[in-house]
Amino acid sequence: MIELPPVVLQVIVNFSIGLIVATSLNIEVGFLGIPQFGRLLAVIAGAIVAAALPGRILAAYLGLPWGAEYAYHLYNFGIVARINDFLASNPAISIGVLILTLVLAAAIGGVIGYLCAYPALRLKEAYLGITLLAFGDLLMNIAWNYDPLVGGTTGVWVVDPFRFVGAGGTRFTFSALFILAVAIVVFIYAELLARSPFGRVLKAVRDAEVAAGVYGKDIVGIRTQTLIIGGAIAATAGALWALFTGSMKAYTYTRLTWTFWPWAFMMLGGTGNNLGVLLGVLLYTVARTAIILYKEALSTVIPISPEWLEYIMIGLVVVAVVLFRPQGIIPEKPTLALPKSRVKAIAESLEKS
Amino acid sequence: MLDLVVKAVAYSSCIGIGAAAITLVYNATRTFNFAHASMVAWGMYVVFAATYLLGYTPYYHLPLAALFGSLLGLAIYGAVNRRLLRAKAKEISLMMSTLGVDLILFGFLNVFSDYLLKVYRLPAKYFILETRDFTVEFAGVQVRLVGLVAPVVLILSVVLLHTFLTKTKLGIAMRASIENPELAGLSGVNPELTYVLAWIIGGALAGLSGGLLSLVITGYTAVGMTIVVTFFAGAIVGGLYSVYGSILGGFLVGLGEYLGVALLASLVGGWIYAYRPAIPLAVMAATLLTQPGGLATLLRGGRR
Repeated sequence: MIELPPVVLQVIVNFSIGLIVATSLNIEVGFLGIPQFGRLLAVIAGAIVAAALPGRILAAYLGLPWGAEYAYHLYNFGIVARINDFLASNPAISIGVLILTLVLAAAIGGVIGYLCAYPALRLKEAYLGITLLAFGDLLMNIAWNYDPLVGGTTGVWVVDPFRFVGAGGTRFTFSALFILAVAIVVFIYAELLARSPFGRVLKAVRDAEVAAGVYGKDIVGIRTQTLIIGGAIAATAGALWALFTGSMKAYTYTRLTWTFWPWAFMMLGGTGNNLGVLLGVLLYTVARTAIILYKEALSTVIPISPEWLEYIMIGLVVVAVVLFRPQGIIPEKPTLALPKSRVKAIAESLEKS
Repeated sequence: MLDLVVKAVAYSSCIGIGAAAITLVYNATRTFNFAHASMVAWGMYVVFAATYLLGYTPYYHLPLAALFGSLLGLAIYGAVNRRLLRAKAKEISLMMSTLGVDLILFGFLNVFSDYLLKVYRLPAKYFILETRDFTVEFAGVQVRLVGLVAPVVLILSVVLLHTFLTKTKLGIAMRASIENPELAGLSGVNPELTYVLAWIIGGALAGLSGGLLSLVITGYTAVGMTIVVTFFAGAIVGGLYSVYGSILGGFLVGLGEYLGVALLASLVGGWIYAYRPAIPLAVMAATLLTQPGGLATLLRGGRR
């Protein structure tokens, strides 16, 4: 199997994970207008599922300790190493574990979305945004401190369902391409959603909630459904990230990387427009990789550590987008209810009569 | 025990001052200020740098922190907020713009910290100014002076703010503009003056809160990001539309975090200390879901 260079892999994985999270955010923020400042909540829930569940199920199956001691750092490494050896020689079980993990993560993400509907129906704007942000930080704090779950401050190793294709570069290439495939599926789904009647209802509720209610649209149901969809997609991204990196440490899941940055990608590309979001994620991923690659050259020109330059750059992009181009690089376009050819045919038939 | 209470009071006073800044800016300009995190952190670093470079005690440099905070507030208003308010931007856009500003301020704070480290060899990654504080005897126990100074600063800020808002023409105009912008505008009050004053006072309070905090907690560049939710919690528990409510809310959330965890630890064991950051988050979520109007509503007997 071909092996891609690490830089290319990094771009692919960062782009794909970023695209999945930003797309889920776009469904909630762009289409429905919920101030989702708690994206971290669903993402970290997905990562916890990936870190805690498949390993335990396999450990129980193989007769290894799977209770609280599974996450204890002195045992965890050995247990996960033995599970990975087992997975490496069992491709069918590996694929099963991979699919099961993603399905479980999406399910938990959906449940979290459903629970978030409770505040989302009662609070508005800043209040709702801060509540969701608090929920995300709460879950991170619990995962960081409650050792039996995902190892607390020491973290845990995550079972590797990609091991069967080979070790080293082959494994990373395969897993990166798999994540890219998932991202493409999510993107196509979001595009179909935007063009479906449901997508148009979302935008109707966003633009004129009262009017949509008058026309008999179930606003409570629509909001709940959207939060479930968004939560499920974001949790999948979290699970994929934990599986790819092979370890899970709660503290690395910050609201900055998993909530605020996806917001920045989305706003840069164009809120409410999937293609714009894709462009935003791509631009940012390439710019970030370039900064890391040309670190040495950059530091001779600008006397600022590239790490901080990244923050300043993202901050400037966010401020500039809000100030000068609130609609983003590719503004949202009204979606047509029917294909263009049918609209044209109807218009022509009207002209004739 | 008394030692702990004094520390808790110092910490809570800082949170109270900062929470007032969030509420003031939110009410005057509809902007929920995420940049508060870095403004507080800058306040801490200003006091830290001035104490090490210029000497004297940290208290001496508190006005400098307040001044720096108000300059930051003025800069944010002039460069970003003014344009958005003129364009009648949505609340979410206003929030996002301050998030961008926060990232910029955070980046530059790290640059400043690196600079202090490299050029002056100061321990700028992590610093504890607590040791530079005086110890005084209070009710027979040796305590740090900040435990007495912080509440005095809090009370002074309340008195000054109250005098400004009720006794001066500018303050009354500002209150009118917050309560009913259109009517105030018809009476000849310039709304932009309200906005700029809110940012200046809010910035000064944020800087002051950070400056005092440098004597209470360990300073590092990401301290603002960690602690900002406690300020949010304070402002929201207070009701988010009453400055006095926020001061009280911030004070109570700070006390709850500091003393509540100590109380819980004596009941269930020391493991609970790790969950300390969860307390303000839980209090805030509970307040929003059950009593979105916060303390201010409760105190006024259910009326807004």
